[in-house]
Amino acid sequence: MRERPARAIKLNVLNEPKDNYKGGPSSLCPGCGHDQISNVIITAAWENGIPPERVAKMSGIGCSSKTPAYYLGQSHGFNTVHGRMPSVTTGAYAINKDLLYLGVSGDGDSASIGIGQLIHAIRRNMDMVYIVENNGVYGLTKGQYSATADVGSKKKKGKANETQPIDLCALAINLGCTFVARSFSGSKKQLNALLKAAMSHKGFALIDVISPCVTFNNNDESMRSYTYVKDNEVTLHMTDYIPHFEPMAEVEVPEGNFTDITLHDGSTIRLETISENHDPSDSMAALTALHEAEDEKKHVTGLLYFDATKPSLAEDLGIVDTPLLDVSDDVLRPPKEMLDAINAEFLSI
Amino acid sequence: MDTIANDFTINIATANGTGSQSANLILLQSLFDMGVPVSGKNLFPSNISGLPTWYIVRLSDRGYQAPGDRTHIQILVNKATWEEDLAALEPGSVVVWNMDSKMPVEREDIISYPVPMTKLARSLNPKLSKLVTNIVYVGILAELLGITDEALNKAVAGQFKGKTSAIELNINALELGRNYAKENFTKTDPYVVEPRPIEKKRFFMEGNEAAALGCIFGGVQLLAWYPITPSSSLAEGIIAYIPRLRTNDEGEATCAVIQAEDELAAAGMVLGAGWAGGRGMTATSGPGISLMQEFIGLAYFAEIPSVFWDVNRVGPSTGLPTRTQQSDLSMLYEGSHGDTQHIVVIPGTVEECFEFGWRAFDYSERYQTPVFGLSDLDLGMNRWACEGFEYPDEPMDRGKTIREQDVFEAMENFGRYRDLDGDGIPYRTLPGSGMAPILYRGTGHNPDGVYSEKPHDYFALMKRLKEKIDGSRDNLPAPILNENEEGDIGVIYYGSMENSIQEIDDLLEETGLKVSQCRVRALPLHSEVEAFIRRHKQTIVLEINRDAQLWGIMRRELPNDIVGQVHSVAYSDGMPPRARIYSDLILETINEVTQ
Repeated sequence: MRERPARAIKLNVLNEPKDNYKGGPSSLCPGCGHDQISNVIITAAWENGIPPERVAKMSGIGCSSKTPAYYLGQSHGFNTVHGRMPSVTTGAYAINKDLLYLGVSGDGDSASIGIGQLIHAIRRNMDMVYIVENNGVYGLTKGQYSATADVGSKKKKGKANETQPIDLCALAINLGCTFVARSFSGSKKQLNALLKAAMSHKGFALIDVISPCVTFNNNDESMRSYTYVKDNEVTLHMTDYIPHFEPMAEVEVPEGNFTDITLHDGSTIRLETISENHDPSDSMAALTALHEAEDEKKHVTGLLYFDATKPSLAEDLGIVDTPLLDVSDDVLRPPKEMLDAINAEFLSI
Repeated sequence: MDTIANDFTINIATANGTGSQSANLILLQSLFDMGVPVSGKNLFPSNISGLPTWYIVRLSDRGYQAPGDRTHIQILVNKATWEEDLAALEPGSVVVWNMDSKMPVEREDIISYPVPMTKLARSLNPKLSKLVTNIVYVGILAELLGITDEALNKAVAGQFKGKTSAIELNINALELGRNYAKENFTKTDPYVVEPRPIEKKRFFMEGNEAAALGCIFGGVQLLAWYPITPSSSLAEGIIAYIPRLRTNDEGEATCAVIQAEDELAAAGMVLGAGWAGGRGMTATSGPGISLMQEFIGLAYFAEIPSVFWDVNRVGPSTGLPTRTQQSDLSMLYEGSHGDTQHIVVIPGTVEECFEFGWRAFDYSERYQTPVFGLSDLDLGMNRWACEGFEYPDEPMDRGKTIREQDVFEAMENFGRYRDLDGDGIPYRTLPGSGMAPILYRGTGHNPDGVYSEKPHDYFALMKRLKEKIDGSRDNLPAPILNENEEGDIGVIYYGSMENSIQEIDDLLEETGLKVSQCRVRALPLHSEVEAFIRRHKQTIVLEINRDAQLWGIMRRELPNDIVGQVHSVAYSDGMPPRARIYSDLILETINEVTQ
């Protein structure tokens, strides 16, 4: 038998094949937007050369929160309780601030039961990536509207939604979130660039990803169906990500205008202007873009807001530079002499 | 007239927020420094300023620390409770009262010492007259009872550490009170303070501060908390000790502190810390534990080390937020939905608050499960005599956590939830290590940590968890036994009831009843508890609640043949336990069951 030539396996900067970033098989509905996001997570982490064991996969409860089982099988993860992933992540971060915390949540998790925890994680500028896989419905309980369902949108069964939605990006911008982006599970290239940029950001990075629910909310009257979002997506800019380990010269310079934003690890996100130039440091412009899109029943995507100047939680905690996990027991427990001194002081009162 | 030395109770009725607490603590400390066995109970309202507050100082040569049955000396400053406080006094009681409050004292059967407290205070410092009024009554008491200037001056200096103007003002106010009493009163009451030799030097300490110090020496790495009475001073105690005990020369701490947005988040952070391999804890009270229930179940099921201190206040609901009770026991023991069982350590002294403060982390990491410290408002927020703290006699127990690659590689058949040693406790690896990564979950899982709904996986998991916690019982703090060879009646109690038990025992003995005692210090119950019950014909379980929570747990868990000989005395009205109420109830119960 003729020997087949070994196919060259593509490796990333860590010499890791992409397979090492994959997870188990998905149990979500075929065609689910969430699976596309999982694939982007795998690609982005691999291309970005993130050591998989240094990632902590965090989630709450819901269809979206099951997905950490489907990517980065070499990372530890924690599928916590409904809406409470931010607090668990915060506690883990206090102990081991050197891991990359990659949180995945849904619209029920983030905009309803866990909105308080999301808000306070943003307020602390917790150093993490927080992806909302946003489909406007509760999937596991079989298709109730969530708090992000757009007014006038109608899911497969029942009446159209008449309750005002919560726009998580607008909320985050108002809270001073340091990285706010919106994307669409069908826009893999854009999501990939945004996700890599979010991984390079020090602080809270929110990516709200419209991710159609093929079972309960993908009909023509839904404003979060594949067809609707494809037809009504307003892209702020073309996005490109240039990792810090690749020299800028190797990147093809696009025609037209672009803005480069340098991220904390030295990587760059390049925003190529489409029509009007959006300045991501301008929160008013970002809010205007969101509100205009809402009025026109459209979805605006891209990097909405970015601020590299705010200190993240680690600086606020005032803890040693070594992750607390690695501080030895004899440092954690003060020596006997200190307790003796305290006893002596009290006894002398 | 015969004198009564060191055996009476002083009740001081003031309004919250008027600065009476520092005056009362000066009184308490000066008595303590004279060697008088004394205890102080602060009965304060849930309010910042204005509502009535009482401070009860009990002097007892026999060492009784409960509030006592009655008031012997009443200080009346607060108009709001004036009539009520006055009416409650037994004939022959003493009243020291503020004449300037324009309230009547119309009882002929009491000994009355009227004092123009406000005028005296104004003469010293018009701006701070409200504050000064409090220290004036301490001066009056000092003269009437015979408290020395030396003891008072030392207590003032200790209270206001180095603040010269405050020290001077207080010393002057004490003098003013003392002189007024000297010039205007002839002592007609029998109560006096007599100094006692101090055999063993001790100091006053609140249980919350002791627990805080214990947590610091337990190597706490994350304190996540949400303020709630009566636990806030435990968290604040940790925060206060971090700069001295857990901070390096560069000013960086080895303990992170996060004030969470609510108790749910505080619990979540504690779990996150435990999951990441650190020692996380929170301090809260019953309402906070109610909110944390979901996370408690997750910690139990996913086997995450986590420490929760509950400083019990009166429930249900908001209840009486500034009163004391032992009513969270069953909620802690069986916290969260589904079948659960948790380790609870129950200190009864300030020294144990410290000891269990560090031990709780060891138990939690050893058994990979939530551990609760159950204190209460009485133990946590009142001052108790303390002999000092003993340094941990064993190194920190980090449990079955694999931190080195070679150790991991030498293991056979590793699974996050596989019982390799037959003790129900599995091994774990940590996030970031790259060793055997899994997705932790609150859903059913097999020994490898993979999602499973299979009947045998679920059944085996729940059985192992039960065995794991069961296996802890004799490694937890053993009960403290005090057995009377003549007695066939046993009394089981726990927590802050320790401070009333001696008096209860003496009251029972006055009726000719000799009993043995067993103080439970942890759940699940130590096997010594069952043995104690078997050594007695009848056993009473004494607790500060309505529903006899420990008794309920015992009835369910003890073997059938002895359940019938275990009886309950449970009583709670929000007050710290008064001995006579419980001794009467014990007698009543014994009469019923022995008839």
